[in-house]
Amino acid sequence: MQSLNYADVTVGDSLPELPIDLTVSLIVAGAVASQDYTPVHHDKSAAQAAGMQDVFMNILTTNGLVSRFVTDWAGMDSRVTDVAIKLGTPNLPGDTMVLTGAVIEKNDQEGSVTVEVTGKNAWGNHVTGTVGLILPREAN
Amino acid sequence: MALAGKAREDFEKKLKPYVGIGIGVEDVGRNPVNQAMIRQWCEAMGDELGVYTDAAAAAVSTHEGIVAPPTMLQAWILGGVAMAGGEDDPRDKQKELHRLFDEHGFTGVVATNTEQKYLRYLRPGDEVRAATQIESISEQKATGLGVGYFINTRTLFYDQDDAEVGSLTFRVLKFETEDRPSASEGEGSSAIPGKPQRIKPVLGHDNEWWWQCVEKGELAIQKCSSCGVLRHPPRPMCGECQSTDWEFIFSTGRGTINSYVVIHYPEVPGYTYPLVVAVVDLEEGTRFVSNVVDVDPAEVEIGMSVQASIEHVDDEMKLPVFRRA
Amino acid sequence: MPTTLKDQAAIVGIGETEYSKNSGRSELSLASEACAAAISDAGLTPADIDGMTTFTMDNSDEIEVARAVGVKDLTFFSRTPHGGGAAIGVMHQAAMAVATGSAKAVVVYRALNGRSGSRYSEGVSGGPTTSDLIHWSWYMPSGLMTPASWVAMYTQRYMHDYGCTGEDLAEVCLSQRDHAVKNPRAFFYEKPLTFEEHQSARPIVEPLRLYDCCQETDGGAACVVVSPEMARELPHAPAMIRAVAQGAAGDQESMTSFYRPSLSDLPEMDLVAKQCWAISGLGPDDVDAAVMYDAFSSNVLFQLESFGFCEKGRAKDFVRDGNLRLGGRLPSNTHGGQLSEAYLHGMNGVNEGVRLIRGTSSSQPDKNEHVLVTAGVGVPTSGMVLGQG
Repeated sequence: MQSLNYADVTVGDSLPELPIDLTVSLIVAGAVASQDYTPVHHDKSAAQAAGMQDVFMNILTTNGLVSRFVTDWAGMDSRVTDVAIKLGTPNLPGDTMVLTGAVIEKNDQEGSVTVEVTGKNAWGNHVTGTVGLILPREAN
Repeated sequence: MALAGKAREDFEKKLKPYVGIGIGVEDVGRNPVNQAMIRQWCEAMGDELGVYTDAAAAAVSTHEGIVAPPTMLQAWILGGVAMAGGEDDPRDKQKELHRLFDEHGFTGVVATNTEQKYLRYLRPGDEVRAATQIESISEQKATGLGVGYFINTRTLFYDQDDAEVGSLTFRVLKFETEDRPSASEGEGSSAIPGKPQRIKPVLGHDNEWWWQCVEKGELAIQKCSSCGVLRHPPRPMCGECQSTDWEFIFSTGRGTINSYVVIHYPEVPGYTYPLVVAVVDLEEGTRFVSNVVDVDPAEVEIGMSVQASIEHVDDEMKLPVFRRA
Repeated sequence: MPTTLKDQAAIVGIGETEYSKNSGRSELSLASEACAAAISDAGLTPADIDGMTTFTMDNSDEIEVARAVGVKDLTFFSRTPHGGGAAIGVMHQAAMAVATGSAKAVVVYRALNGRSGSRYSEGVSGGPTTSDLIHWSWYMPSGLMTPASWVAMYTQRYMHDYGCTGEDLAEVCLSQRDHAVKNPRAFFYEKPLTFEEHQSARPIVEPLRLYDCCQETDGGAACVVVSPEMARELPHAPAMIRAVAQGAAGDQESMTSFYRPSLSDLPEMDLVAKQCWAISGLGPDDVDAAVMYDAFSSNVLFQLESFGFCEKGRAKDFVRDGNLRLGGRLPSNTHGGQLSEAYLHGMNGVNEGVRLIRGTSSSQPDKNEHVLVTAGVGVPTSGMVLGQG
């Protein structure tokens, strides 16, 4: 798997778009993998009692997908230092979330870059935010 | 009704003692960081990055061995199946604070922001614990969901050597739900119906017949029965001869773009952007406004020949839309 | 009885609140503060006021504002429809009221939480079945539902017909921003805009970009209209209403008059212009400065042609020659306009018109004998000519 170096990246670079099919399986698997058994993320009746039509994605899964989206692009020699997100419309089964992103900042001293990420579903932005990561100076 | 005056003052006094305190319970990971849970996470996320699951690849990476996905940080200390039980630890000050809000009518909860920082990646064998503090409570705010307060908590994560490995700042809004059920936890609150649909026309005496024609697949044009003049949009009286008698003809749908726009903002759910809308000169002589589809917005131009066809623009509505002829 | 409204009324007081993005208070509070400020500026007391008028779109009832401000008996009150098109329509109402003796002193106001409350940029959607909503129903299904989208439609055709470009629109925005930079009331006070920033800003509805669109503002503005006789007794030199008129033209829709022979024309503003010149006995050459309604930058171009400051299709040249700036032929929107001062549905423009006559604008032109002030574009509309007392 190819990994990006700091010098390979330019402010304004776009990341390859990543569509995520939002299935009940993904939502439940994400909740379970994150040890988050809050009922609204795996039990449809609990979700409906909470005013939602179906189970909806938990925040850890959103964070996990955002991180995956960025490291799919950056490769395994990158190191994520922070993920800051704002949550919007919920991710519900049957919809698709499309993740898009672009490099908005480079810090030469730290060798770090900031990627702006948006995850959009049919209702609008599910998630917007930034991921900070450090890239190697030269090929590992 | 939002709390006001003395009641609000009294309530906000009760909130003060919670600001700056620890929540009273420490979260200790039930399992050390381990390959099995990492693999389960990666499979769920579809994350195939070698450093998480492929020892050989990880060894030659900058990480020099298997690491856990950084965004798993909180997963190491969450409660698992016990969370579904709904029993709150009576010592938990954060839960106590949420109950206080509930009792004063702020029963809605929605997570609005999280910010995680990772000082180092965790590795199999690391043991994680976390301590959470209620960092701040905002002033009363009017939000799109209702009047409420933002609560910021900050969780610091430590390893087996008591070294900090990362942090999580979490912002939730506790808000007044007006006859709306509250979400027990998590990022949803108000009822969301299925897929978003376009905004439908409002139907009345003067336009309902036209939309019924659309349902049957026809782009109708109103025609004065007395003087024969065509008119669109439909009106109850002929502006030429004042006759209230009218009939209609069906347009061929052939036309020319008189003007058009490319809409980028705001993005309304149910529509796809950028969205092209045009005023089309129909060959019958009236105009019709609708979308131009299946064309790069940059290629649309005034004078372009177009052809209407009536089709579903979402699950519920038919609309005449135009394509390049 | 007078046969026209020429010099039958004068604006003697102006007032406004702070313009912000989040007022943190009610629209009634904003309206009351603006009215009280205008009454005080006129050298009157609330008890002197016996008429009030505002927009149908205003959420603060005349009688509620009257009670809050301490206005007592009202013998005249009215409302004018069509959003920004009402901005001088209300002046028309006030002038008619004092000219006929229906009232002695009329407060005209408009206040809205246009940013923190209901935002026009969010567009129209459902509601009860009225002829108005049936009208919007021809556009909502295809997504044409914001003011920017409606104005962009006829702007596109106008630009096509006359070879006008986004660079011409930029000059409207830049000239107004340069004025706002000097105006402490303006949201963009001391915040300049460059040509490059204008051109590279994100598109809202092509061909309109971000800075071609007005702001959304929380605030209130008001003024006081009295008879010329009463005006002479008051502290400020009056801004005489030389002419005031409304206009709705054939095949008019509110914002979506897409069914007329040419989308590049603005017949309702042509109609207002014709009346303004006829009533005042003046013409474009007599006007020294203007407040042109500018919900969107392109609005200004159409109006320059309607009022005859240049020939049809030549507004782009008029603008590019720097004529909207101080020292140009027609210094315009010297407060920054709604693009750069505040969006008060045109009422802040009325107050700027009065300041221009008084000689107190933060971008005051040398000559100020006559000032043109216009209202909303693309709707049934209105305009007036102000003159020295």
